[in-house]
Amino acid sequence: MSENQERQQGPPGGEFEREPVPPSSLLGFKSFVGMYAGEHCAGTELMIGPLFVAAGVSAFDLVGGLLLGNLLAVLSWMFLTAPIATNVRLTLYYQLEKICGRQLVTLYNLANGVMFCFLAGSMITVSATAVGVWIKFPMPGLNDVMPNSVGWVVAVVAVGAVISIVAAYGYEAISKFANIASPWMVLVFLAFGIVALKQFTTGAEIHSLGDLWELAETTIWKGGAPLAGKTKFTFWHVTFFAWFCNVAMHVGMADLTVFRFARKSWYGVATAAGMYVGHFMAWIAASLLYAHQLHLDPTDTDVLPGRLAYEAAGVAGLICVIIAGWTTANPTIYRAGLAFQAIVPNRSRFAVTLGTGALATIAGTFPAIAMKMLDFVAIYGMILMPIGAIILVDHYLFKRLGLIPSYAEESGIGFNWAAGLTWFLTMGICALLVQRGGVQVFFVSLPGWFVAVVLYLVLSKVYQRAPS
Amino acid sequence: MRRILQLKSWLALAGTIVPSVLYYENQMELSTVKTVMLFATYVWFDATLLWMGRDQPKDQTVTLDEAPSGTI
Repeated sequence: MSENQERQQGPPGGEFEREPVPPSSLLGFKSFVGMYAGEHCAGTELMIGPLFVAAGVSAFDLVGGLLLGNLLAVLSWMFLTAPIATNVRLTLYYQLEKICGRQLVTLYNLANGVMFCFLAGSMITVSATAVGVWIKFPMPGLNDVMPNSVGWVVAVVAVGAVISIVAAYGYEAISKFANIASPWMVLVFLAFGIVALKQFTTGAEIHSLGDLWELAETTIWKGGAPLAGKTKFTFWHVTFFAWFCNVAMHVGMADLTVFRFARKSWYGVATAAGMYVGHFMAWIAASLLYAHQLHLDPTDTDVLPGRLAYEAAGVAGLICVIIAGWTTANPTIYRAGLAFQAIVPNRSRFAVTLGTGALATIAGTFPAIAMKMLDFVAIYGMILMPIGAIILVDHYLFKRLGLIPSYAEESGIGFNWAAGLTWFLTMGICALLVQRGGVQVFFVSLPGWFVAVVLYLVLSKVYQRAPS
Repeated sequence: MRRILQLKSWLALAGTIVPSVLYYENQMELSTVKTVMLFATYVWFDATLLWMGRDQPKDQTVTLDEAPSGTI
């Protein structure tokens, strides 16, 4: 209990920033289960589930794709992230610094910070849709890019201001509140799904699971053409999305910081608690809400989590939307602020976090990020994935191939050009594959990872031989 | 006192999910589901804030490694 409680106070840290975690500080399996189960049932789920429906998924595409994709994500954590984490027991940042140099780590933090700003902005958007249920102002449509009403802008700014001020004062309070809200939020999501499913089954002859599946295929997730402006999602789109939506954390190795506290590498299986609660149950539940909205009126295509939640669960649903958006936006604004402070170290954390929150709020007024969340998440993963390839190659292959691991530390440099070029070139090649090569952004991180591996090996061979 | 609060929290969680199940089984109207869920929400936060994570470490300057990650 105390371990779990301690784990749930907030992320590990405050100690061992620049040293391996000692055996006395390792945590048990339950700590990681609790953490992951809570973290992945959040505001983003309220957009992603409906957007799957807008993308024209069929029942098999959705259910089968999520079962497989989430399994691949769990296996990535188990067999890529956790083994390195439990072997080295360092934070991601310190390990990156040893390999890539402090200046490249600053760039990585900045990239993360910018993406976090946009992510936080989309979550402010989600919370603002709840405000719109009470105060009737025009809310954005599915394909809107620009803000569409003064009321919308005011709502976003108001929500964003509150979230930013709380983030600026520190994350401890909101972290505690998020932990408390987690179990309740998971059940509210489940209630969304049960209510929406009931609304579909009313009047239908459902006597068995087979009948339910037939209803799912013919009425709920009918498949077919996506809504206007959306990419058609197949089984493989859903699979790869579920796998890569957290690519920054597993293949990208950000969760080295988490699993450095694990006693055993197999604790990576604890991520299944997050994947199958949040990225299976919550996505399906949220998709049911939107599918029902379309079922009632196929022309009513707006994806507005506040409205969807209110119709299913009343004010409790609205509170869930606000808290879900808030508890996702807050830590991301805080973290982005820390990243940006690296380039303006003379500014106070309070001021930088407020400024970051302002940026996120401005981003949130433009509904494009929220309405294109599937694409945004895929791009986010593509940008950060190469760093994970660099870490993996450095850990497993360098010594065997006669190369020097942790090269930046060994040679005393602040910018490992082999790593930097690997990152930039991989992103460029991935962008080219998407723009010209016919590879959709949802899939490009897989070939991109192999590109990064080869590039880092080749460039390191050249770089480490070059005269200093 | 802590045990009583924890019991209240468990009851609140039940009040969050059971109404929707009853609705599915045609045992409860949707309007009642919404009312019960709202009451359960109030009870959950009212009770749980008083016992969960009571031994909270003081706020302190944190670094990127310590800050919570924004997850999807």
